[in-house]
Amino acid sequence: MDLIHPHSKRDVMDALRGASAADTRVLIVGGRQHIDKGNPSEADAELWTTLLDDRIAYDPAEMLCVVEAGMRVHDLRTMLAEGGQEWPVDGPDDATVGGVIAAGVTTVRQLRVGTMRDTIVEMEVVTGDGRLVKSGARTVKNVTGYDVHRLLTGSLGTLGTIVQIALKVRPLPKTARTLVINEGGLELGRRVLDAVPLPSAVLAEPDRLVVRLEGWPEEVEEQAAAARSIAAFGETEAPFPEACFPDATTVAEAAVVPSRLAQLLAGIDRYRAIMGVGVAWVPFEDEGALTKLRARAAELGGIAPAIRGPGGLGDAPIPAPEVERRIRAAMDPAGILAPGRTWST
Amino acid sequence: MAALDDARTELVAALGADAVLHDPLALRLYARDASMVEGSAGLVVFVRSAEDVVVCMRVAARHDLPVVPRGSGTGLAGGATPIADAIVVVTAKMDRILEVRPEDRLAWVEPGVFNLDLADALRPTGFTYAPDPSSQQVSSIGGNVNTNAGGPHCLAYGVTSAHVLAVDVVLPDGSVGRFGAEAPAAPGYDLRGFVVGSEGTLGIVTAACVRLTPLPPAVRTMLLDFAEVEDCAQTVSAIIARGVVPAALEMMDRGIVRAVEDFAHAGYPTDAAAVLLVEVDGLPAAVDAQTREVEAAAREHLVGTIRVAADDTERALLWKGRKSAFGAIARIAPHYHLHDCVVPRKALADILAGVYAIAQRHDLIVTNVFHAGDGNLHPLFSFDRSVPGTLERVLAASDELVRLCVDAGGSLSGEHGIGLEKRDFMPLVFTADDLDAQACLRAAFDPDGRMNPRKVLPDGARCGDYAAAALGRDGALPEGTWI
Repeated sequence: MDLIHPHSKRDVMDALRGASAADTRVLIVGGRQHIDKGNPSEADAELWTTLLDDRIAYDPAEMLCVVEAGMRVHDLRTMLAEGGQEWPVDGPDDATVGGVIAAGVTTVRQLRVGTMRDTIVEMEVVTGDGRLVKSGARTVKNVTGYDVHRLLTGSLGTLGTIVQIALKVRPLPKTARTLVINEGGLELGRRVLDAVPLPSAVLAEPDRLVVRLEGWPEEVEEQAAAARSIAAFGETEAPFPEACFPDATTVAEAAVVPSRLAQLLAGIDRYRAIMGVGVAWVPFEDEGALTKLRARAAELGGIAPAIRGPGGLGDAPIPAPEVERRIRAAMDPAGILAPGRTWST
Repeated sequence: MAALDDARTELVAALGADAVLHDPLALRLYARDASMVEGSAGLVVFVRSAEDVVVCMRVAARHDLPVVPRGSGTGLAGGATPIADAIVVVTAKMDRILEVRPEDRLAWVEPGVFNLDLADALRPTGFTYAPDPSSQQVSSIGGNVNTNAGGPHCLAYGVTSAHVLAVDVVLPDGSVGRFGAEAPAAPGYDLRGFVVGSEGTLGIVTAACVRLTPLPPAVRTMLLDFAEVEDCAQTVSAIIARGVVPAALEMMDRGIVRAVEDFAHAGYPTDAAAVLLVEVDGLPAAVDAQTREVEAAAREHLVGTIRVAADDTERALLWKGRKSAFGAIARIAPHYHLHDCVVPRKALADILAGVYAIAQRHDLIVTNVFHAGDGNLHPLFSFDRSVPGTLERVLAASDELVRLCVDAGGSLSGEHGIGLEKRDFMPLVFTADDLDAQACLRAAFDPDGRMNPRKVLPDGARCGDYAAAALGRDGALPEGTWI
């Protein structure tokens, strides 16, 4: 396995142009935190983005920041906290910003802060054959040309190397509190969701419920009171969100509409579900359990890719295979970027 | 044109004579949208279902004819203006709300549903559809999706793309696909995200699955007035700097306030240089806290009076003033040209000064009403087209305005789109490689270059082998197109 460790966008362009010419298959790697997501793909070389970690621009008054894609989530968080702001995406500290985006990481607090994909306003990407392509603009709102960055988000490194991104950021909440109770499941979660206005997250486990509240102190007080009118919640100072089944070697991330979570998770004894969103993480021990979960997700109109360990994405049909094939050909004409890794190829 | 005649015969046979118009009046009416550009329609087809759209696409493909989708025709950039005798496919009659599912926070709607009708229909469920373009009484969801429409409340809630979970699309070859999903993740690339804002150049949206947003428990609307435009503009940044993101933050200058007040009688102060309409929402306690911060920020910048709407009636009146602005300006002059630049928020004061200078230099009346919180300007030139030389002055001023905003780090359009009007400005913000990549990705959906040709990208944008087909579709560019 060869290693490419570029210092600059120009290095990335040169490396990928060369790789395309030589037919060298390349796996793009950030912080290696989401590397398991995707179907098995053989590579001849790894391209590490971690030296591309400069801060390009950050002005809190604009609620935008521009960083290189190899910046670690921890470093971005520290930089933004100095401006009293956050990128409302709960990636692990060691992940790179580009990795979080390419992996299409789920935003745990999306009921309140929206989804990760909507925070990306501008992107620079190096295509498989070494062209630098920019889309979007450094403004909070923009309809100027085609949003190439939308395709790159969640593309698992198969359309290009994300080298720089402009992100929409937001003020840190004035207060944040995490309520917790050791009883639970989806039914209690549903009642809390109905009773508490505008929570950031309601996370249900079979025997535990976690409610994240963020906002102005008086507001959070009111929300906490509403939650406690449903059940006798305690409170925790633990960082939020806590790591997802750190002891499990294999975890799937299922997605169905919120009202079908109960059907999806019936009979499963370990899970963590985002109420009102429809995402559930399920650790699994063997391939049989994963296959069963996938079959059930498919019946309910959803999917269940593995996000840790082997297992791949599953074989859900994609809506327009020819369009996807042409998109891939447009961005990676030689087909060197992690062939086979995503759903379509 | 034999191809067009044959296409008409086939469409009449499939959809009925009343669904296909080709009389001179209809062709003239559908030769333009709400922009200044007039093109030429070959046929006008009213579709009632996705199957009808498939028929249109197949007929057009068979005869190698261009297709232009059209919603309500309120677009301001020429996106629905047909070129080269295209088949105009009107989705206005596909106007059903198909399904509302509060338990899943989603609804399925056809493209012809008016934006405001959707919001009204959702209200009893405790939810709303958040994007609220000023055209919301008449603009349709299909058009909103294709322009990634914004609106005053997009500051806190995000633009259309954040509220569209999935779209059913008929591609130019007549094949159909559901891009995105009801579920929070979908297999494959985010084609949904690429279609939203694509200005009808990739296919025709026949249904949209939209996200429902909970109605806020409390809302407060304030009108702040200022003796200086600069203080007003700086208050915008000052509010954000305090960690407050209002639901809406709209600015109006004196010219527009006077026009609106004559029309809406909302009690706007006509002696102020500029006003800010600020709305905060959330839980009652959060609304109180945000109100305090807004007031403090405004006082730092010499606010005159702060009028807080006492009840829903007064709140509706204040919004009536804002939302009737584009109707009210008809009192200034018969024609207007509305702009849509986005700039960094901190550049607002300088850009506004620049806007006034440009208007003065070209002897034009300019008024401003815009989404200040987003840095999304809408300078509006009012004029009488029948006065010789006026249109030329408007276009010259518009050209300067676009360049001014781009030089300040801004973009060409915040919410109206590129269409025909701004496509030749694209090289100001994108390199040839950027534009070529965009052309290739567009061709991934439309290899023959028949969907809304010559919109969005300038003619120079190439995509290797794909380009040849698209370039064949010349037809003269219509009058009023900026090139």
